[in-house]
Amino acid sequence: MEAYTTDEPIYALATAFAPSALSVVRTSGDNCIQMISKIFSSKKRLLEAKSKTLVHGYLQTLDGERIDEVVLSVYRKGQGYTGEEAVEISAHGSLSGLKRIFRALEDVGFRKAKRGEFTFRAFMHGRMDLTQAEAVEEIISSKSELSQAKALDRLEGRLRNRLEEYREKLLYILSSLEVQLDYAEDEIPEEWIFPEEEVDEIITGLERLLSSYDASSLYRDGAKIVLAGSTNAGKSSLFNLLMKENRAIVSSIPGTTRDYIEAWSDIRGIPIRLYDTAGLRESADEVESEGIKRSERLIEEADLILYLVDPIERKLPKEKRENMIILYSKSDIEKGEGLSISSQSGEGIEELFDEIEAFLTKGGRKLDDIVIDSERQRVELASTLETLRTVRALRRDTSVDVYALYFQSALEGIGAITGEVTNEELLDTLFSKFCVGK
Amino acid sequence: MKDYDIIVVGGGHAGIEAASASARQGFSTLMITQSLDAIGRLSCNPAIGGLAKGNLVREIDALGGEMGHLIDISQIQFRMLNKSRGPAVQAPRAQADKFTYSRNAKELMEHTKNLELFMDTVVDFLVEKGKVIGVVTERGWKISSRAVVLTTGTFMEGRIFIGEYDAPCGRLGEMAAQGLGKALREKGFDVGRMKTGTPARVAASSLDYDEMEIQPGDEEIVPFSFMTDEVTRPQRNCYITYTNEETHKIIRENMHRSPLYGGKIVGKGPRYCPSIEDKVVRFPDRERHQIFVEPEGINTEEMYLNGLSSSLPEEVQRKFMRTLPGLRHCEIMRPAYAVEYDYLNPQDLLPSLESKHLENLFIAGQTNGTSGYEEAAAQGLMAGLNAGLKLRGEAPLILSRTEAYIGVLIDDLVTKGTKEPYRMFTSRAEYRLSLRHDNADQRLTRKAYEKGACDKERLEKLEEKLKAMDCVKELVKSYKERGKNGLALLKEPEITMDYISSHVAKLNDYPRYIRNEVELDIKYSGYLKRQEIEVDRFLKNESILIPDDFDYDALEGLSAESREKLKNIRPHSVGQAQRISGVRVSDIALLMIGVKSARKAKESENGSPE
Repeated sequence: MEAYTTDEPIYALATAFAPSALSVVRTSGDNCIQMISKIFSSKKRLLEAKSKTLVHGYLQTLDGERIDEVVLSVYRKGQGYTGEEAVEISAHGSLSGLKRIFRALEDVGFRKAKRGEFTFRAFMHGRMDLTQAEAVEEIISSKSELSQAKALDRLEGRLRNRLEEYREKLLYILSSLEVQLDYAEDEIPEEWIFPEEEVDEIITGLERLLSSYDASSLYRDGAKIVLAGSTNAGKSSLFNLLMKENRAIVSSIPGTTRDYIEAWSDIRGIPIRLYDTAGLRESADEVESEGIKRSERLIEEADLILYLVDPIERKLPKEKRENMIILYSKSDIEKGEGLSISSQSGEGIEELFDEIEAFLTKGGRKLDDIVIDSERQRVELASTLETLRTVRALRRDTSVDVYALYFQSALEGIGAITGEVTNEELLDTLFSKFCVGK
Repeated sequence: MKDYDIIVVGGGHAGIEAASASARQGFSTLMITQSLDAIGRLSCNPAIGGLAKGNLVREIDALGGEMGHLIDISQIQFRMLNKSRGPAVQAPRAQADKFTYSRNAKELMEHTKNLELFMDTVVDFLVEKGKVIGVVTERGWKISSRAVVLTTGTFMEGRIFIGEYDAPCGRLGEMAAQGLGKALREKGFDVGRMKTGTPARVAASSLDYDEMEIQPGDEEIVPFSFMTDEVTRPQRNCYITYTNEETHKIIRENMHRSPLYGGKIVGKGPRYCPSIEDKVVRFPDRERHQIFVEPEGINTEEMYLNGLSSSLPEEVQRKFMRTLPGLRHCEIMRPAYAVEYDYLNPQDLLPSLESKHLENLFIAGQTNGTSGYEEAAAQGLMAGLNAGLKLRGEAPLILSRTEAYIGVLIDDLVTKGTKEPYRMFTSRAEYRLSLRHDNADQRLTRKAYEKGACDKERLEKLEEKLKAMDCVKELVKSYKERGKNGLALLKEPEITMDYISSHVAKLNDYPRYIRNEVELDIKYSGYLKRQEIEVDRFLKNESILIPDDFDYDALEGLSAESREKLKNIRPHSVGQAQRISGVRVSDIALLMIGVKSARKAKESENGSPE
């Protein structure tokens, strides 16, 4: 059951969800310091931090992959805004970075706060001189806000319909289990057989929906493309062509682009954050070698790397990455084998776009008509999927009551998006589908 | 001076538990029943227990009630149901000799200290300043009391139907209690109609047993009562047969003669226990329906046809019944019939089962829209117990959904109400993994003892059992294999308690049920932990209490629908408010804020800091 609660760990973005210099993500709830330490580089310093102090470090994923450099404001119980243990995360305001922060927080057990929930908690803990009206107002306004987002509603409506299908399937499976629990062996003598096919179908469907999250985030937040290659391979010329404006300085002296340049563009409807980097070479120039270091870091974070190769020099990258497209430049002078373009004549550019689109949308990341587009939905679906995978992997001699436990929790996961499933509804299904009763 | 402390109206399963719970607490108690010969009668099927219901019986017993003991000394067949479907959902069921059961029940009541029995029909209440202060009977007696427990079953304005025939009865041949329903309607109670039915009884000597399957009982008999050490009762077989196309054809052809389809019965019947007409209509593709033939006692000729309840005319009943194998020559002794009766909307009750309309009136059993002996008994026990607690000025005993099926039952009734006769189901209990029948005493007996609901002997029995379980655990732990101790080993699916017992001889000194219980606790500990998290979350909002005089009208921002429902139900906690259907999440948040500020205001009024 969804509800406003206290003490359960929650998070919310306190600043606007828009690209900006600084964003603040608030968290609150029992053990939240300990939970964040799992995704923080300076674990020990955070755990030992006194109340109302700052801790600097990196937020990272559970696998240890860095997300962003952040400053944490630590509040021990009774000291923060809500009166609960709390951590405020000051991070850089990139949208994709924020999304990754949200995801990391959810991975360690936070849930997204409901509208007004921080204020609600502050009130419940008698923390501040907040007027009751303020908390009430926030909660009431969350209702009307919902009905305003009509466009979103339509999208959600389609998602809901799709989920409704899975929900009904799960409801049927669960009621076929419950009928075994509600009636004795002599009344319902058939043994329950694990519906592998149906469960697999739901698993595949949920997987597809989950990947649609990546798709919708791709079309909403865009992808990071980094132009790389040795100096003078023609990166800036391509950058300019892609940006259709003379932003980067183009010259034939190697090492002109000492730092990186970034800009937004659009390829086949996908928003692209394009980075032109310093050419990769050893340099004695201090400024330039710092630029090269930054290029290397950008390459690490890129969704896609376009590695340009001069068809005469033919300097191929030292290591070929999965997310790298090798691209021969200057095809007006000489053609390389494979994908080849000329920034001068524009030759090969459509092929390049095809290639980029194909790469970014592979694995079903193409915008389907059904998408999930909120972190909350993603988390619910991911945990439902996990539950179904677990139950799918259980030994087939597991007893029915245990199976029911898992299917119940899977159903609740989907119910959290489409609306709650009540015991009455379960019994309705049970009575209508199965002939029961002596 | 009142005539009695507590009057219990009705001598059915709810009445028995209510009266004895009241008397056990030392209150002078009067049970008024329409017929002394009908105390504890099993009006429908001759069995006690079943899935979820068996758990209820054991909970009643753990709380000091009588039902477990009564079935232990009256049963004629025992079976543990759903052994193959997981320990958490197993439950005991026993066929009863219904005459023995009823006689035992009556004698038990007669010999209960502080309890008197009186035969008459209650037609109205004596009311003073919004409180019930006694009852008025058909023969004109006015008897005063400090509290009344109402357990009328199917008798309040009861009417039975057999085809075109109908009569004002609560059971076939027994007069309905007329007048009370009318009196309650006039007092503003929300009275509705419900319907149930019972199948025919046929003569044992007219059946062809070689055409039916035999259904024997279990060899191992687990007593229902935690106080019973061993059950020694003669055992009888049941039989199984099936309907067929011919049966269904006869039923279909005569459907228009059923009062259910002719519109004569307005009350809603139970979907889980449909009449044979219902089954034929709702599942037209089914070629056959299973029917159980159950003896109603050791020596009686009457056999109960479980699954064939009907309200068709008698000659039609005879015709379709004679199409079943084993029943081709059957002679009907009592026909099947439907019964329609008054029930009171249970949403008008507090979780203690006291009426919100009339103070000191407690209502239990089928009167609250439930079905089943066990459901009735469970409510009767709680109503009798809470009536006593009220008179003692103590807080009522309200069981949580997390600790007992009884908690689920009463919470469902008072929070959601019911549209059809409410039956307990395993699936209604969210936390069923920990609500096993075998640990009911661990869950409830201490609580009951603290409230004066059971005697010391029961508590000592529990402590003895806990001690034995600890010893068993220690012995299991002492066993080692593959570098693991026995407790860890038992969590593996292949390792059983029997296996460990075969290596640790001392374990065999302990009774099997103790070893079983330990085994289940260990085997399920992982799943129980998973459930524990949900229980904690659940209990959080249960503990935010809403004051009785909370003013919903003063709560800003509440939706009109939620406000209406909250005012009606008057939930005792935020958790309960959350379970009322149609109350929105945001409204619950507003309620929490409202409750908190109300409490704050009160505290500053009293000058006590938070």
